[in-house]
Amino acid sequence: MPYIMKYILLIFMSAVIIAAWIVEPPQSQLGSVSRIFYFHVPAALISVLAFGFALYNSIAYLKTNEIKYDFRSASSVELGLMFCILATVSGAVFAKAAWGAYWNWDPRQTSIFILILIYGAYLALRSALDNEERRASLSAVYAILAFVTVPFLVFIVPRIYPSLHPEDTIVGSGGEMQLTGMVAVIFWISMVCFAIMFYWLYSLQSRIELIVRKRLKEI
Amino acid sequence: MVKKVRIIVAVILIAVFGYIAWTSFGEQMTPYVDFAQARQSHKTVQVIGQLVNGHSEIDPSTGELKFTLREENTQDILNVIYTGGPKPGNFEQADKIVAIGRYENGVFVSNQLLVKCPSKYQGMDYEEGHGDGV
Repeated sequence: MPYIMKYILLIFMSAVIIAAWIVEPPQSQLGSVSRIFYFHVPAALISVLAFGFALYNSIAYLKTNEIKYDFRSASSVELGLMFCILATVSGAVFAKAAWGAYWNWDPRQTSIFILILIYGAYLALRSALDNEERRASLSAVYAILAFVTVPFLVFIVPRIYPSLHPEDTIVGSGGEMQLTGMVAVIFWISMVCFAIMFYWLYSLQSRIELIVRKRLKEI
Repeated sequence: MVKKVRIIVAVILIAVFGYIAWTSFGEQMTPYVDFAQARQSHKTVQVIGQLVNGHSEIDPSTGELKFTLREENTQDILNVIYTGGPKPGNFEQADKIVAIGRYENGVFVSNQLLVKCPSKYQGMDYEEGHGDGV
């Protein structure tokens, strides 16, 4: 990642954190607790981006058989899980304040739980295979299959079952943007910051895994 | 040719996997049972509905909160008594209310309520009716 991006990220992420606390809360009835919206929603959506990266890299691995794509896919899944867990924990805290319970198996809570299990199984699968090529090709196939569930679990389930989770908050059912004013500005800058942060962690993690592999071969 | 067959097999596999995911998750995805099931069940269940007429009353002798929920799809009506304490905040403004409890003697007795807030994330301006529309 270009060096200057890190400074841009520093400035904008700081601005988002400060603005999220200073500007009026995004949801007037909930008040200040709704400020977590600026971090909870981007974390959840970036996990989808991360699983998309895993899908892309898995297809690239099966096409080229280059091991670097396998490591990139694994890094994407690890980060996707991290963002899922951040979304789940921040969501549980938010739910306690907004609904009255940390956890009640609301459709959105159930679907992210299943998503974590599905991608957790990817890591379990990898750790069970010693042969590098076998591990790479099997986990690539698994990552492609796993992604089939993502649109269903993330975008469809909360809309077809009655839920306490707000729906159509960002994009309306007709595809129109719902956020307005400062809420929209802070939210979208936060989304871009989360995306840059993901990409930074992703490129670092992919490189670390390749270096570890090289060192292990030298021993 | 072999490659083409492989891609076809892969697409079929993905379609089948997607279909299984779609159908098998179905019922397990929601903890909420409909009102008709809640009446027959003797277990603790969760029901979800809208507050009828925005109306609720507190029984002065017992301090219990009484209100009626309407189910979105069936328009079915369920009388609820909440025994779990004071009325939750935002109760009247809630889009939907979840009651956790059991159906006993013609009424749903709940000891925990969850409330859903409207999904408008548009700041204070929106509430006052002059969103700047940026």
